Amino acid sequence: MATDALVLQRRHSARSRAAWRRRGIVLAFLSPWLIGFAVFIAYPVVNSLYWSFTIKHYGQPARWVGLSNYGLLLDNPGLMLALRNTAYLAIVGLPIRLFIAVLCASLLARPRRGNGSYRLLFYVPSVVPAVASGALFFFLLQQGGPIASLLEVFGIEAPLWFRDPAWAKPALIMVGTWALGDVMLIFLAGIVDIPRSLYEAIELDGAGRWARFRHVTLPMVSPVIFFTLLTGMIGVLQAFDQAYVFSQGARAGRLTGEPDGALLTYAMLQLRYFQDGRIGFAAAMAWVMFLLTLVITGLMLASRRRWVHTAVGEK
Amino acid sequence: MSIAVGDPIPAVPERPMRVRAHVPRSQRVLLTVARHAVLLALAAMFALPLLFMLLQSVMPIEQAKTTALWPDRFAWGNYGEVFDRVPLARYFVNTLLVCVLSTIGTVISCVPVAYAFSHLRWRGRTTVFVLVLSTMMLPYQVLFVSQYEIFTSLGWINSILPLTVPAFFANAFSIFLLRQFFLTLAPDVLDAVRVDGASEFGVLTRVVIPMAKPGIMAVAIFQFLFSWSDFFGPNIYLSDDDSLTLAVGLVRLNTALVKTGESNLTMAASVVFVLPILVLFFFAQKVFIEGVTLTGTKG
Repeated sequence: MATDALVLQRRHSARSRAAWRRRGIVLAFLSPWLIGFAVFIAYPVVNSLYWSFTIKHYGQPARWVGLSNYGLLLDNPGLMLALRNTAYLAIVGLPIRLFIAVLCASLLARPRRGNGSYRLLFYVPSVVPAVASGALFFFLLQQGGPIASLLEVFGIEAPLWFRDPAWAKPALIMVGTWALGDVMLIFLAGIVDIPRSLYEAIELDGAGRWARFRHVTLPMVSPVIFFTLLTGMIGVLQAFDQAYVFSQGARAGRLTGEPDGALLTYAMLQLRYFQDGRIGFAAAMAWVMFLLTLVITGLMLASRRRWVHTAVGEK
Repeated sequence: MSIAVGDPIPAVPERPMRVRAHVPRSQRVLLTVARHAVLLALAAMFALPLLFMLLQSVMPIEQAKTTALWPDRFAWGNYGEVFDRVPLARYFVNTLLVCVLSTIGTVISCVPVAYAFSHLRWRGRTTVFVLVLSTMMLPYQVLFVSQYEIFTSLGWINSILPLTVPAFFANAFSIFLLRQFFLTLAPDVLDAVRVDGASEFGVLTRVVIPMAKPGIMAVAIFQFLFSWSDFFGPNIYLSDDDSLTLAVGLVRLNTALVKTGESNLTMAASVVFVLPILVLFFFAQKVFIEGVTLTGTKG
């Protein structure tokens, strides 16, 4: 009897030892992320939240000032300008980009001769680094540049993209639209996944091209539209590279001059405060950006049920 | 080449002929013509900017300041000149170093983590994975303000360390992508190897990694492309002229040459910056396209 208990105990300790071993293995496999998360994410997040309530300069201790950074932010004229610019890019730029991406995808969804080459060609601009396409379009759009020359052929006088505030953001939208290849690919995959039977069913009802697009293609790719809209919104909130290239170039050019902050994005403004050494303020701006991201994501997720189609069997 | 791009997307069967027959022949021809007209216009829109970049990069200086679109002669010397004016070769080496190191770091750190999230069973796995994914929502702005102080106190400013060391500690996007690939492997196969007495590390190195090579390639290529293109990070951490990457060097060059109107030199530097990425893309297009599609459809 005593031996029975001993065997049981030994078995039990062996099992718990094995359990600890397993935990150790899991921890070992996770360790790169655990360390990275603690050092490069969790600590900076908490730290920047703390700094956002302080006046902080590097090399000096932070001084608590409560909500005053956030209060100053509300009074900051640059902030309203940057938010307006962001809204413009989101409301005008994103739909244009998505529409052309859907157009390209639906034109290329069927396997036809030449479609592979078109896909390749349409996708290439999206692998071009953002600052390179920024420099490229800065050149293309300059006075007397290639786009002005092309427009002249059609008798159109090119606008002064970087001098006229009304045209600076359309220039930005043009670069973004040029690089829509990845969105197009995602749409392509979505369209190709639509079961043929749906089209056949609606064709039996005598539906035309538009009805097929409206009642089959559009609802079936609506989850993809949702995904691209969401990532697009987050991208617009953080827009930086090309706006920075344009405005640096425009300001250096003098002959053009940055048009009334028309290119100022939220991320550019935040970087300016960071470079001026106003770290507490920059941290507050970063946190407002994060909160905006959360709010927009939340609103979009809440609206999803109304317009995003979910197939039977999906969650 | 055209077939390769078409490959990853499964073929859709043509519509049955009886449905087609409803459309009169003349209308069908018209539709085909219209379709090609639209496609050609789009093709021009996507391709012309790159063509103009190439042409401008070999435009003689006296022509570069005019409205000319086609160079009278190909001034290949522009490339030599831009390498003389700015330490472009140095930038190139710096960029390559950042890319190679951060790619290696990403792969060796994310593969075991993704394995733990796909083929190891442990309590809280889903919760922790949601935490991993939620870090993707954090704007870099929230992080760099504080990371900058860490890197300053370590004396890492003006070196490639802030751009490469964090890569060795895994990132959410690559973990997510690798996990997607790992999940396609049947657990039975792994169990069979475990029964044969292989450790988890053995299963990972001898079974999972060889089987998930395309996925690992995709993650490596995405990281390489990201590091090559990244401007925000290098712009913050690098300021010494010798320490710059191509992205930062190009933006500075662009700004500096606006006044002199030497856009031909800016475009030559752009070609140097963009060409390696295009070459990489042409060799690895299949991997690229599978990866992009996966992030979108399973997101």
